[in-house]
Amino acid sequence: MISIRIHGRGGQGVKKAAQILARAAYLAGYKTQDFALYGAERRGAPVTSFVRIDKNSINTRGYVWNPDYIIVLDDTLELSCHLEGRKKITKELVNTNKDLKLPVHYCHVDATGIAVKELGKNIPNIALLGAFVKIFEPITFEHLEKAVEIELGKKHPEALQKNLKAAKECHDKVIC
Amino acid sequence: MIEIIDGNASAAWGARRAKAQCVPCFPITPTTEIIETIAAWKAKGEFQGEFVQLESEHSAASAAFGASITGARVFTATSSQGLLLMHELLPIISGCRTPMVLTTVSRCLSAPIGLWPDHNDTLAMRDAGWIMLICETNQEVLDSVIMGYKISENKKILLPVIVNMDGFVHSYTRTEVDIPEQKMIDNFLPHPELEIKLDVKKPMTLGIPAMGLDYMKYRAQLHRAMLDSFEVVETVQKEWAKLTKRKYDFVEEYKLKGAKAAIVMIGANTTIAKAAVDMMRKKGKKVGLLRIRLFRPFPEKQIKKALEKLKDIAVVDQNICPGMGGILYPEIKMALSGCKAKITNYIHGLGGNFVAEQDYIDILNDVVKNKKQERKWQM
Repeated sequence: MISIRIHGRGGQGVKKAAQILARAAYLAGYKTQDFALYGAERRGAPVTSFVRIDKNSINTRGYVWNPDYIIVLDDTLELSCHLEGRKKITKELVNTNKDLKLPVHYCHVDATGIAVKELGKNIPNIALLGAFVKIFEPITFEHLEKAVEIELGKKHPEALQKNLKAAKECHDKVIC
Repeated sequence: MIEIIDGNASAAWGARRAKAQCVPCFPITPTTEIIETIAAWKAKGEFQGEFVQLESEHSAASAAFGASITGARVFTATSSQGLLLMHELLPIISGCRTPMVLTTVSRCLSAPIGLWPDHNDTLAMRDAGWIMLICETNQEVLDSVIMGYKISENKKILLPVIVNMDGFVHSYTRTEVDIPEQKMIDNFLPHPELEIKLDVKKPMTLGIPAMGLDYMKYRAQLHRAMLDSFEVVETVQKEWAKLTKRKYDFVEEYKLKGAKAAIVMIGANTTIAKAAVDMMRKKGKKVGLLRIRLFRPFPEKQIKKALEKLKDIAVVDQNICPGMGGILYPEIKMALSGCKAKITNYIHGLGGNFVAEQDYIDILNDVVKNKKQERKWQM
């Protein structure tokens, strides 16, 4: 089983990011489980979401304590606690344009900058997933594209294209 | 058709496939998405039933009752304080022998205000005269809503059904769910005409006054109908298994064969506890798990049969009856009266307090080591 934990703030699409990732993995032939955890819903509050994928059925649920991948959508979060539970093999991807001086090796890209440029607002989830595909072997960029299309639905075709453009740019610019 | 949906959408699909004719409701976290999903279908013309938003859960339950006694198939859903507000109506609905399905999405009770799950809301309804199915997976929720109508509308039973899932860890968790074809459900679930119902052409009174002995006779009949429903639940589950290859029972025995110690529990966290059992089994520990799925009527016989040979039993309650302990604990002890098993009560996961496999491993290790039958807190 491969597990992913995503940290961000309400309004950044933390829950949607998990749903898109799970959908992409499903399209790639995996069994999937996605789940988001939050308190009283409001913008800016910390939100955590989780994805589990496996070729076989997934026999657990709830909080992912020891993820294989950690995605951080907001670098103003308390990063030390969000990197908690990491294993030696855990890979991190952080949305930032700063040197965060973290004690662990992490991949990074300015997904917010790119999302703001493309979408006009700070919703960096899909952009950052573009970068994530680079370190996450089970899915390809094509799986991601298709998953975004399914999960965003047909309501906002423009937003879809802009998001995918941002995702592509993050995919090309991520530094590991 | 396989779809990736969460627990809430699974319940909504159950209501849609059952062709619920009236959905009176009032939203509350973590149930809201059930109602939103049905409302969106209604707006798109994909849901034919009446969708009515009331000004409170009490009104929603009243409307549900009113619609059902005219013979309509009714679905509604709620959580936590919303369920408590409905509570006044629940014994009236069962007392008038009114069929319907209510999905409860467990959320802890106030105060303090919490959003995450424990079972105090749903278990508070245990004496309301409703059949209660407590689910673990999304598929089970969808299947149970559909089966719920078949049980509820059975002429011998005519009792309302609660289908329960946990908030967040279940209601917001998306997995693959098989949504059965409409035609199959139409065949499985015809809508029987109620023999006694409110009809303007044939006026009558329902919910009459009954004092003393008369009252007691009504309650005895309700109890009898509850006990009779065992057979109906079993028949419906068997029929469903034939149709879908998905088998459900009153209780789910998990790796109890050859087990010396076991956990007994309900709800979505069972999935995590099963993973803990797997981990301990791999190390050669003889442990297992029993999940109670049918909570009312209470399947004493099946519980006793599953557990009577065990040495150590941990009843893991995700609820607290202050001044008494876990709610499941005395019920399991009653079912096992006369057995030699040592039964210990563990309180865990209140207000959705996080649990992991290690918590259940600790409980199983502790229940074997522990010499006394007692109550413990797993924080």
